[in-house]
Amino acid sequence: MLKIENVTKYYGDFLAVDNLSFEVKEGEIFGLLGINGAGKTTTFRMIMGLLEPNSGMITLADKKIDYSVTDKIGFLTEERSLLTKMTVKEQCLFYGALKGMSDKEILKRLDELLEKFGITNYKDKKIKELSKGNQQKIQFITAIMNKPKLLILDEPFSGLDPFNIELFENEINILAKEGSIIIFSSHRMEHVELFCKKLVVLLKGKAVLEGEIKTIKQKYRKKNIFIKADVTKDELLQIKGVLNVIEKADEFEVKIESNDIIDDVFKVVSKHSDVTKFVVEEPSLNEIFVAKVGEQYEK
Amino acid sequence: MRNKLNYLIGVSLKRKMKTKWFLIANIILAILIVGVINIDSVINFFGGDFNEKQKIYIIDNTNETYNLFENQLLTYEISLNGSESESSYEITAYEDGVDEVKELISEEGNEIALIFDTDEDNLLKATVISDGYIDTIDYQLIVSAINSAKTVLALNNLQITEEEYNQIYSSANIERVILDETKTGEDEDMNTIMSTVFPVVILPFFMLTIFLVQMIGAEVNDEKTTKGMEIIISNVSPKTHFSAKVIAGNIFVLSQGALLLIFSIVGLLIRRLSGGSNIINGVGDEVSSVISDIMNSSIGSQLIYIIPLTLLLMILTFVSYSLLAGILASMTTTIEDFQQLQTPIMIISLIGYYLSMMAGLFKGAIIIRVLSYIPLISAILSPSLLVLGQIGVIDVILSIMITIGFNYLLIKYGLKIYKVGILNYSSSGLWKKMFKAIKSKENQ
Repeated sequence: MLKIENVTKYYGDFLAVDNLSFEVKEGEIFGLLGINGAGKTTTFRMIMGLLEPNSGMITLADKKIDYSVTDKIGFLTEERSLLTKMTVKEQCLFYGALKGMSDKEILKRLDELLEKFGITNYKDKKIKELSKGNQQKIQFITAIMNKPKLLILDEPFSGLDPFNIELFENEINILAKEGSIIIFSSHRMEHVELFCKKLVVLLKGKAVLEGEIKTIKQKYRKKNIFIKADVTKDELLQIKGVLNVIEKADEFEVKIESNDIIDDVFKVVSKHSDVTKFVVEEPSLNEIFVAKVGEQYEK
Repeated sequence: MRNKLNYLIGVSLKRKMKTKWFLIANIILAILIVGVINIDSVINFFGGDFNEKQKIYIIDNTNETYNLFENQLLTYEISLNGSESESSYEITAYEDGVDEVKELISEEGNEIALIFDTDEDNLLKATVISDGYIDTIDYQLIVSAINSAKTVLALNNLQITEEEYNQIYSSANIERVILDETKTGEDEDMNTIMSTVFPVVILPFFMLTIFLVQMIGAEVNDEKTTKGMEIIISNVSPKTHFSAKVIAGNIFVLSQGALLLIFSIVGLLIRRLSGGSNIINGVGDEVSSVISDIMNSSIGSQLIYIIPLTLLLMILTFVSYSLLAGILASMTTTIEDFQQLQTPIMIISLIGYYLSMMAGLFKGAIIIRVLSYIPLISAILSPSLLVLGQIGVIDVILSIMITIGFNYLLIKYGLKIYKVGILNYSSSGLWKKMFKAIKSKENQ
């Protein structure tokens, strides 16, 4: 288990991470979210042992993370961390060796992963000759080639098309099933929603939202109703408790402040004869994120 | 489990040495060094000939200057070359007229014609004819020989023979007596000799220092700018990374230095096997003479410890430069920043180079003695002062001790800076961060 306990980090007088705590068990995919400058990278660097927290503890399997355990960790940074003058093979041999792998192990795993990602013909190409998406694939390959016990993914889908995102997702899920601890950061909430069961949202270094996504969504009282009916926007807006009505191509998205309003909305809609859709949905993670972070950001 | 330090050293060396540029640079260096050592054979191969004698045709209308001129020219040649060897001039009396000799010279191209006459005061006057420009040394020798011939002829008129003239103008017989028994007359000439020899010996050291600083700076910056450093430092400690860069850099320059030595030995072997002639104007003889002078002086017997001490001081100085380059590179975020920061290092190195070339001028002044202890420049200044007899072996040992101390401080405090700088991508407040890192106990 990865445990972050009351971790605080200052850069001079600037508070980068403020008393942060969370736990991630084996096989779990955990989301670490936040706007730019929220403290995600600092947290990742502290987990990797690159930075010392001013206070608090970070442990992996009850042991402090140091260079004796880094061979079992995989790290994909937000920016490309590839030595662009090297070939794909040289790069993987280099990073693999730093993970304590033998050349034979690295080349076997490399062939397997290159085939999975459909880029076997790039093995002897220089990194700088590859497209942004293919560079990201190589970066991902170097992060997972040691089948890490702890995998840190900072914006893993950057520069990827939907097809390749699916390839990454499959590989991440395989690692999670094999018991890897995965911490994941992304600005794309739909990715986080798809992968993570638990998350923490950081703002100015402080956790403003944390827990299981399911619980977070349940606790979040605001809901959305999708309606296809012969009703007007004004009629919906006049209902007490309706926060907003968004008129889409052939339907309305009605934002309500709580479940109690659903009946009132239904009564108004049911007066009309041509009702083909009335669906109540939980708000998206993106909506909760924007609402929570925006609310705190303004304070 | 592989050793990560050894692996990083291997990767650094491979990135530097297993490149086409390293191969091309060394092929060029090999050709250049072997070529310079065998320059006469090279020029002969392309049609030139250093052994070809300069032809001089003489029309002597005075009937007494020919032999006199020939003797004086030979005397000046011996004086110039420092030893008696075969003359490089072929002098021939020309029997036909001036117009014919002019025609001959314009046909053959490289020949010179001298026409000796007397003026209204019955003194020698000469005309020098050539198709193009005459080599400066040849021209000066000819003019000097003509002037001497003129003086001899004038003195002859006063009943003074050429023999008497040579006695008058020969050098005085000077006996040198030095009361300090530890010093010899041969060592007295070492100032001049070493001022010629040392720039040649220390130039490769200076060149390798530049290679070393640039290699470490470029590698650290490449890893920083590509953010590859994040992955590297998350797997190996900054101490291991720093050590790998310093060790690899030093192995590289020592290997490059060894290659330069091998190229020189190969050049000399080729020269010996091909029976190469003396290099331009007897430079080959000059080299042999310098080596012989050095071996005959007290330095010759001291070389057994001068060479190891100099090599040790140079290796320690390479370590100083590499530590400094690594620390500075960790503080920069781009190669342009590093180039700016490395300028002071290069200036220090250049100061050492010029001071060692001018060491003889300081005549053992306290200032030059103190400068010879300063790390980074001591490697070239200290040995040059030692061979000039301005400092003793104990001073060189002191320079070695100071450089070891300097390296210890660079490692102790530099590593703290390296740990902070290596993952820092902002240049704002950089010096403040560095001083804070030095004071920090956490990084120890």
